[in-house]
Amino acid sequence: MRLPEYADVRSASIMAADGGFSSQMLPCVFSPKSHQYLALCAQDGRLRIWNTDSKTLHQEYVPSAHLSATCTCIAWGPCRTAKEGPQRKKRKSEAGPPAETTDLLALGTAAGTILIYSTVKGALQCTLDGGHSGAVNSVQWHPEENVLYSGSDDAHIAEWDLQTGKMRCKWKADRTAVTSLCVSPNGKLLLSAGMTIKMWDLETKEVYRKFTGHSTMVTTLCFATTRPPDSDGMYFLSGAAHDRLLSVWQVRSDRKDKNAVVSFTLTDEPRHIDLLKSDSKEEAVRLAVVCKDGQLHLFEHFLNGPCKKPLSPGCSVQVSSAGGKSGEDDTPVPVPLLAASLNSDKQSLQLAYGSYLQPVIETTPVNTAERHICLVRDIQTTLSLSIDTAISMVKTPIVNEKKSKVLIPGLPGHQAPLKSAKQSSQPEKRKKGTPTEMTIEERLEQVELSAAGKGGEKGISTLQTDSYAVLLVQGLESKDKNILNRIFQIRKEMLIRNTVSRVPLPAILPLLEELSIKIQGHPNSAHAAVDWLKAVLTLHTSYLSSLPDLVSQLGRLYHLIESRVKGYQQLLRLHGKLYLLMTQVATSSSGHNVNELDHTAKLVYEEESSDEDEASGDEGLPEDESENWEEDEDDDGEDMDTMEERQNHADEEMREDSKANGDESDLDAENESEEE
Amino acid sequence: MCPCAAGSECIAHDNDGKMVEGSEIRVVRCGGSKINTRSPIITIDSRFLLCVSGDLVKVYSTKTKELVRVLEGHTNQVTGIALNPANHLQVYSCSVDGTIMLWDFMDGILIKTFVVSYPICALYVSSKHQGVIFSVIPIASGKAESFQLVAVHLPRAVEVEVDAPELSAVITDVSANPSATAFGREGEYLASAKGLQLSVYFFRKQKTYRFLLTASDKKGAKNGFSCVACHPKEDCIATGHEDGKIRLWRNFNHRKEYTYTTIHWHHNIVNTLCFTPEGTNLLSGGIESVLIQWQYGDNKKAMLPRLGGAITHVSASPDGTLYCTCHSDNKITLIQSSIKVCGIIQGLVKGDAVRTDLLIDPRSKALVLNGKPGHLQFYNLKHDRHLYNLDIVQQEYIYEEGLDQYEVVMAAFDSTGSWLATVEERGLKLSTLEFSLKLWAYDKTTQSFSLNTTVNAAHDDRIRSMSFCPSSETTMLVTTSKDGHFKAWLLGADVDTEKDSDSASWSCDFVGSYHGLLPTRCSFSADGSLLAVNFREVITLWNPETWELLSTLCLPPGDIRELCFGNQSCSKYLLSTTTKNMLCCWNLLTCSLEWSTSMDVVLLKPDPLSENVVAFSKQDGHTDLFVFKPSEPRPLFTQKAVCMGEVSRAIFVPRSELLDSCEERSQWLNRSQLYFLTENMDLLTLCTKTEEERMAAISKQLVADKSVAVTPFYLLLGKHRRQQEQQDKLDDSPHGRQAERPALPQGSVAIKELLHTPAHVLPSASFLCSMFVGSLLTSTTDNKNTADQPPDEEMDSEKEEEDSEGEEATRDGQVDPSNLQGSVVDRMPRLSKTQERQLRSVRKTDYSWLSSLADA
Repeated sequence: MRLPEYADVRSASIMAADGGFSSQMLPCVFSPKSHQYLALCAQDGRLRIWNTDSKTLHQEYVPSAHLSATCTCIAWGPCRTAKEGPQRKKRKSEAGPPAETTDLLALGTAAGTILIYSTVKGALQCTLDGGHSGAVNSVQWHPEENVLYSGSDDAHIAEWDLQTGKMRCKWKADRTAVTSLCVSPNGKLLLSAGMTIKMWDLETKEVYRKFTGHSTMVTTLCFATTRPPDSDGMYFLSGAAHDRLLSVWQVRSDRKDKNAVVSFTLTDEPRHIDLLKSDSKEEAVRLAVVCKDGQLHLFEHFLNGPCKKPLSPGCSVQVSSAGGKSGEDDTPVPVPLLAASLNSDKQSLQLAYGSYLQPVIETTPVNTAERHICLVRDIQTTLSLSIDTAISMVKTPIVNEKKSKVLIPGLPGHQAPLKSAKQSSQPEKRKKGTPTEMTIEERLEQVELSAAGKGGEKGISTLQTDSYAVLLVQGLESKDKNILNRIFQIRKEMLIRNTVSRVPLPAILPLLEELSIKIQGHPNSAHAAVDWLKAVLTLHTSYLSSLPDLVSQLGRLYHLIESRVKGYQQLLRLHGKLYLLMTQVATSSSGHNVNELDHTAKLVYEEESSDEDEASGDEGLPEDESENWEEDEDDDGEDMDTMEERQNHADEEMREDSKANGDESDLDAENESEEE
Repeated sequence: MCPCAAGSECIAHDNDGKMVEGSEIRVVRCGGSKINTRSPIITIDSRFLLCVSGDLVKVYSTKTKELVRVLEGHTNQVTGIALNPANHLQVYSCSVDGTIMLWDFMDGILIKTFVVSYPICALYVSSKHQGVIFSVIPIASGKAESFQLVAVHLPRAVEVEVDAPELSAVITDVSANPSATAFGREGEYLASAKGLQLSVYFFRKQKTYRFLLTASDKKGAKNGFSCVACHPKEDCIATGHEDGKIRLWRNFNHRKEYTYTTIHWHHNIVNTLCFTPEGTNLLSGGIESVLIQWQYGDNKKAMLPRLGGAITHVSASPDGTLYCTCHSDNKITLIQSSIKVCGIIQGLVKGDAVRTDLLIDPRSKALVLNGKPGHLQFYNLKHDRHLYNLDIVQQEYIYEEGLDQYEVVMAAFDSTGSWLATVEERGLKLSTLEFSLKLWAYDKTTQSFSLNTTVNAAHDDRIRSMSFCPSSETTMLVTTSKDGHFKAWLLGADVDTEKDSDSASWSCDFVGSYHGLLPTRCSFSADGSLLAVNFREVITLWNPETWELLSTLCLPPGDIRELCFGNQSCSKYLLSTTTKNMLCCWNLLTCSLEWSTSMDVVLLKPDPLSENVVAFSKQDGHTDLFVFKPSEPRPLFTQKAVCMGEVSRAIFVPRSELLDSCEERSQWLNRSQLYFLTENMDLLTLCTKTEEERMAAISKQLVADKSVAVTPFYLLLGKHRRQQEQQDKLDDSPHGRQAERPALPQGSVAIKELLHTPAHVLPSASFLCSMFVGSLLTSTTDNKNTADQPPDEEMDSEKEEEDSEGEEATRDGQVDPSNLQGSVVDRMPRLSKTQERQLRSVRKTDYSWLSSLADA
């Protein structure tokens, strides 16, 4: 299956620019039936077997002569089962039927030997040598018997008996190299191809039919139906190097089968073909072809007789890397597909793409309604994931702190938005309706109001507060964060009250919204915002209560405050405990000093009564302190616990202050709802 | 009992007549059984690893970690395995069913069965005591849980099944724990520990010495023994203790003058100890999941941390190149002697319970359940293979007892597999409850899940159940909680705080409650147009679009336990089971009870691909299975006593290929397969006859010859032969012919017979050995004869030799080095210097096993 490599400098440079399309065709095969493994022989001559379920490297095998005798073709053996002993007694609960396991893998090498590798044992099963003098181009397993066929550059086909590991026979098949082989599903016929295609009867080893073939080397041969040859229903297809047509040939009983009956158009020469054979005329053949340019084409066709027009693919699949995001490669780069196989459920495809050294395997559902599908895949991250999983068997899902959202109690979205249940559908309509209907009126009103407000302010109060109110309105309208931050940093209560009272009514709701965002944020900014919130709620109660949809407007704020306050009791308790402990610690350390002093005092003993008072006074204190000290030691354990607890609740503790303040505002909020 | 459905009959009733001897459907175990109950053993050549799994012994390849062979024959839990000291290609296994079996593990042949007729808990062999197996059996006295160590004398009979009535007690009152007893140096003594007492039995003196420790010392350390290991070359016993200390006992053949030294690293109980075959290192492991390699006679230690899961057993391969550790999470880790992990054999991870339900990942069709702490495991049911663990919590797990750490307690996939919701929580025992709901999106570009939204404390109390809306238009998740509310979460419902609107996130859409009652289950109808949430005994039906309470259904007494909608043609039915043993079917069009029946349903599962619903009902100690359509109260299929005990979880898994069984009773299994998990964590499934036939049809045995150039001998000789052939071609003189290698003797009849006869009918090795070795000796006269033979015959003999070479490899390299050695010696004078050098290196290799074979 190795292609003659034509030295095409231009195409080679294009390949390199394309990000490693290899000009060489490397063997790459999915295991039969359930496609559990992908066997791949990469440029470095090593055989790698990838697990398609876990998408990890399953095995790596280095043939002893992997550099001199590189692997040219791979074929999976038929599914094997564990050797059964004599008929087992059926017990109530016994092991299930043996699961199909794929085991043997035949590798043809450039040196003319064939290696049989066992994936279960992870070792070479046997070597078949002495058969060919040239490179082996194709190996094929017999579907039922323990027989293997190989075609080689030396123009011969060899038949191997696997039970003995010996060559059974060998015959010259062509004048040129035999590049491709295929055994019929019933195991009675063998197709071989160099330039022309020959069909051999396997019993007699005689040519059964001959077909014209292609003008270049045939690289792929594949039976498309499981029907017997004499029913006019046997079809097979062939693809050749540098040929952008896949030809379908019919084995006809009238022997008029010199020319291809159907052909499929491709975008480049075929690399890898997978098809679901059809059993009857009513069943379509489904075909997946991966081309040299890395595209996948899907065909579905009913094979019944010739069809003059070349058929174009029903669906083309391409893989492309994600462009734009990862700085260096701004343009998306196509990722070559290596192999594809159709799953038996007819709904999904197994794809392998990327580099031969580390392919990415994926199962995608097929949507044949679309003519062209482009899958955007980020290969880099996938690769980095798959490396260490082979040993640890742990996959780490992506956690992007920036992209993922965290909802904690109190944030919008944690609780359902509050809306009165009955009107829930109606107000929305109203909202939508109102801005269109009443725009002019409202705007006029707003203009009047703001004008009046501004005028009033200028007349009455000092310049300072007035300018703050104007600034605030400007900030709210332009949503300028700098302005708002500057204003919200004001801590003077009077100033806040004055400013808030001067804010025009239409600006109040935006102000509240801005404040609630502040409160959701960092505890420090929340702390500042609480004063403002308090002022707004107390000064503009009448306006707020007159709003028709107050519940939905202030609901979020209400949720926020409620959830913040919920932990207040517990936090107070924790605070109290900690405070107690901290003071204990503080006093005990100070008590230590006193203790030392006390020792000196104790030694002095005088009988005089006047001194006694002083001494007892001195003693009294230290004794207390020492008791405390002992207690402290006992408490130490607790202390440790609470320290841990403190670490756990670090966040809450941080917020403690803000909550202490939030309490007040909460009271306000409650008042608010009561009023309402 | 059935107020409105008069015509309905009890499902449990009318199937008694139908009980067919499970001919077309039978219950089979589908793998995932425990592989960590007993210490695994590695074969002499380090190529295979044998471990106990339920009533099977499994043979894994150490290289590929693939299951190579299953030894099946015991009828109860296998409790111990040991390599036959007389033949290293055979293994003894013992079981609770009271038998000891001898296997050829290479070919999977049962050679002999010894019937002991006592349940056996552990098994020990020693090369010094041939024909005797030491096993731990319970003492027959009325005292429960008391064990003794006995010697079982294996009778030398030819039959395959033999009674072994000859038992002699060695040590009475031993621990049932297999790692608490060990053979000492060259099988001279047996050490066994129980509680605070170490007993050493000397075979020569026929005496038992006992050493006692005080229960605890000054510091309050617990001194109880946990495990024992003996040094293979010196008189030294290592014992592990409950407080993490390891004591090395010496001089214990004197009752008074014994000494011990203590080494201490583990801070918790030492689960297992093992000396390497040369005794240079001592391996120990415990709950910390750190393997410690102590240098013997030196206090240096090497550590291999983060093995994942408490270490329960450690063993070393006979050549000392591989260690393997068993872990509590049903895993065997293979470790190179340089303390580097080289492979993992992972079974279905089993904690104490499956807290998440069994799920199927719609994308990969893998079974998903909680695995390692903080992870979700993906398991391929078809190939019985663990795929990977998905790290949900992403916090380092600390292996220590009594810590409260995050665990995944709930998970759900949406219908396409593009969303995964998980709930992790901690704080059941010690602190206040902390939990969070995480929503993961499947990112196609990177082919992995990525975190979209984390909801901390999504409810005020624990989440009881969770389900995605199956409709494709809205992506909605409903959670019910013990705080009396259920919440509906919607994707992208609230975007105004989201700065970059390209990624939608989840937010709460609705909070519902009903009279302050506790909700338990929630279920969506197949098209997603109805949501049923039950509040204790009341089922409420909601419209998920407008959140209107449509209807309530109630049939007291008893709270609702399970709730599910019918599928396809039965989508107008809602099924519910109650704690008072009622199974009710509601018609949603009329909002009335269609039928009800009284049965104790522990589990109710609808098949997503058909109308069928399966119900498991517990009846005196075992579980019965019923399959029915909601439209009629008669079961389609019943099977009594599916398994012992209760079925804890069940799931329908869609088949990749539909079965086309026409059998009425098995039709319900055509589209999907039913898997269920029993109380003791066995995963069972139902297997139909057609399926088995199909499997049998595809699985044609592929026989391939195993003549592989495995040994350096082969390569060496292969080279010679080729060179000689070339030489022959060059000078085709009679002299050159004479230089032809003589026929190797293994072509002889005796050896052919030896190689062709199945292992279990062969006479004993001792009988064969002399014959075999004799046949290897070729005299020089022989040599001349062959040389003088005409060329034709010579060709023949060479062919024969090639044949036999192929056969000898089937004996797996056991025979071939010796054969070749014979032939090589024979040809010595003809070898060049380089060849001689190669040969010398070849000779240095150890053939001690051959001598042991000869001894036998």
